[in-house]
Amino acid sequence: MVNIVTDVLLDVQELSHSFKLDRNITIKAVDDISFQIRKGEIFGLVGESGSGKSTVARCIMNVYRPVSGKVIYKGINTCDLIEFRKNKKLLQTSRQFIFQDSTSSLNGRMKVADIIAEPMQIHHIKPKRGTLRSEAEFQLYYVGLDKSYLDKYPYELSGGMRQRVAIARALSMEPELLVADEPIAALDVSIQAQIINLFKHLQKEHGFSILFIAHDLAVIRYLCDRVGVMYRGRLVEVADTKELFENPKHPYTKALLSAIPVPDPRIAWTLDIEN
Amino acid sequence: MDDRFVQVGIRTVEPLPVQEKRQYKDKPIVSMAVFAIIAMGCLFCNFFITKDPAYMDLYNANAAPGAEFYFGTDAMGRDIFSMIWYGGRISLFIGFLASAVSMAIAIIIGVFSGLAPKWLDDCLMRFTEIFLSIPSLLLVIMIQAILGKANVFSISFVIGITSWTSIAKVVRTEVKQIRDSEYVIAARCMGAGFLRIMWRHLTPNFISSIMFMVVMNIRAAMVAESTLSFMGMGLPLEVISWGSMLSLAERSLLSGAWWIILVPGAFLVVTLLCITDIGNYLRKSVNNRRSNL
Repeated sequence: MVNIVTDVLLDVQELSHSFKLDRNITIKAVDDISFQIRKGEIFGLVGESGSGKSTVARCIMNVYRPVSGKVIYKGINTCDLIEFRKNKKLLQTSRQFIFQDSTSSLNGRMKVADIIAEPMQIHHIKPKRGTLRSEAEFQLYYVGLDKSYLDKYPYELSGGMRQRVAIARALSMEPELLVADEPIAALDVSIQAQIINLFKHLQKEHGFSILFIAHDLAVIRYLCDRVGVMYRGRLVEVADTKELFENPKHPYTKALLSAIPVPDPRIAWTLDIEN
Repeated sequence: MDDRFVQVGIRTVEPLPVQEKRQYKDKPIVSMAVFAIIAMGCLFCNFFITKDPAYMDLYNANAAPGAEFYFGTDAMGRDIFSMIWYGGRISLFIGFLASAVSMAIAIIIGVFSGLAPKWLDDCLMRFTEIFLSIPSLLLVIMIQAILGKANVFSISFVIGITSWTSIAKVVRTEVKQIRDSEYVIAARCMGAGFLRIMWRHLTPNFISSIMFMVVMNIRAAMVAESTLSFMGMGLPLEVISWGSMLSLAERSLLSGAWWIILVPGAFLVVTLLCITDIGNYLRKSVNNRRSNL
């Protein structure tokens, strides 16, 4: 147990966030959530649309200020403004965000090379491979695109390529925590498989932690070490992937699991009979 | 009945004849050419003007256009042909500088207002509206009176700081639309500051929608300068610009020297027409290009 506690990279404690629609109506998007992400772990967050997954991600990345609760990253309470400012550079470089829709997460007026080099420019980090351009070229190669894409604009690329560029941008800072907010939801299935494999490969190479948000259970099962299930703003179950899929405890998790289409209909029938 | 629907899904399309010179279509070629000629003439006027534009040849005052003075001379005996090109520099310079000043102010205030929290945004916009509701010529005259004697820079500055309001409102609306897009959030997460977000992320994405107004501002600034000079509140007579040349016109009308008013007036009108045409083209092309992603 001691080992696990020291290994914790991100500790989310009783996080709540709500949105005010008008004077009377407040929507609780995230309600009292606690979980931990260990070093080198892929943590999956799964749930239906509107269950607050993205809000959790954005609270962790300081896009939203949570109404209550703490997000502790490497012992730094990131929700505290003073602590955040003190460790600004560390927080902004070692945590990276990947968005769902690569069309809008990449600025359409910037070339791929500039997009990838932007975080390095912002933090005045000397590129390891000489120039910013060669660094961008390396990162692009790393995610499986060659240097001919450096001078293209995002709208000249396909969805999968754009998502690779977004990943390359995140990786250029050599992050320790990657928050991926449904990075594959906007892609078609064959490209999804490529990007998931890319994530898995990169995680093995770099050893960073990933908070992987998805609504597709098959992807979660394949990629993640541990899974949290969200339902209406609450985290109803957290367990190791294997255990969650074999032995779901919460009724919502059970309902979610039963909704996975089974490739072979005969297996589905036998499952029905067993139940 | 049935045999009308034999063929399904195939439709032969005659290839359209390739239109030649398509890239020239809709482009304001004539306006751009005329404007380029005028601008070039003003820039390189040293090479072809025949007289010193400031020299007062009092023997030849109010001379009609002829072989020696192509466009005649004014009441002080200055050669109008030389003055036109020489003074065009000042007029165009004031137009561009004032427009640049107003664009810079508009972008800064618009972006700031678009990104600011609601109360600050409201304050800034009410301030902008107050500014907008005062007739700009009145404001120009007032500020110019405070600044004292006019010179080229002070007059462009004054015109610039009175004409940013409508652009700022457009900028603010555009920023409101794109500030929540994910690339801006991504840049914030990366730690980009206000200036970086403004120049690298926001400005390139809204610049096309204000380009028309900026070009029109060049025109408005040139008109404002001419108006001020015509009323005697702008540039002093010894600084030659199209406006200050026109300010001599009231006297020339009485003496029947039509060329003193017609020549600078014609140059001014032609230039303004060209700029308007180019601005209109920009506006149309922005509307067409709205969805290029």
